[in-house]
Amino acid sequence: MSVAKEEDSTPDGASKAELDRAFEELYRTHLRDVYSYAYYRVGNHHDAEDLTEQAFLQAYRHFERARRESNGRPLRPWLIRIAHNLASNYHRDRARRPEAALDAVEPPSHPLGTEQIVEGREELRLVMEKLDRLSDDRREALIMRFALGMSNREIARALGRTDGATKVLLHRAIKQLEEEMER
Amino acid sequence: MTGESHLNLEELLGDALRPIEPPDDLATRVESTLATIAEQAAAELSSWAEELSASELEALRDPRNWVRPVVAVAAGTVAGGALVVVGMRRRRRPAGLRATAEQVLKQVRPS
Repeated sequence: MSVAKEEDSTPDGASKAELDRAFEELYRTHLRDVYSYAYYRVGNHHDAEDLTEQAFLQAYRHFERARRESNGRPLRPWLIRIAHNLASNYHRDRARRPEAALDAVEPPSHPLGTEQIVEGREELRLVMEKLDRLSDDRREALIMRFALGMSNREIARALGRTDGATKVLLHRAIKQLEEEMER
Repeated sequence: MTGESHLNLEELLGDALRPIEPPDDLATRVESTLATIAEQAAAELSSWAEELSASELEALRDPRNWVRPVVAVAAGTVAGGALVVVGMRRRRRPAGLRATAEQVLKQVRPS
């Protein structure tokens, strides 16, 4: 990507080209995170692609400020928060659940033998089905934790919650899922 | 609820919610959109900048310099308004011989 055009300096002292280079790095590092999150939120590749593109466009517009205000902290939670808000708008605009609910999302392929794949896939299907029964915030927290490998602190920042509230949210989400699986 | 089933569920979740690789063309698409936006912004900025001298551009970057034009416009508006009001009052106020006669009448026959 070559978005560096100007050498004008920005309020944080970085040149425009430097800022573009930093954005390019952020984009390359987190494209898969944003796409994975978008996919698990909207349930299909087409809308996940659109949502990912929109998320990066918004991020690009506000990158300078985000960088300035982050005080050196990682920007992944900010990026996921943008995707999170866009996904919420997506569902609000359509005024219904994802086109394909999580239980209809095909589990990723497994590097195991045929028998194990069949057994494993059934279990995975069940997890997806039960996951879809959780409240939005619990499901989103689990997506962030397991699909993106985000820490409690990162999830807290992405969801705009405190670290403590996020820990409780994740704990309750897993507990509810366990109960659902035992039914 | 055992600790073992807890761990097993977390493993299952890790398998079920694997990261999804974005399609190859998505990266190209996003990069090209971003590049277009950056080019448009740069072109817009340079065409606008061509109309102003370097010192004017420098001055415009400083928000302190935005106060003066705003104050000038505000003062101009107030002054214009005041002129209109004065003009209207002048038009209402009779002048010359008629005004003197009215004044005399007021003094002679105060209402």
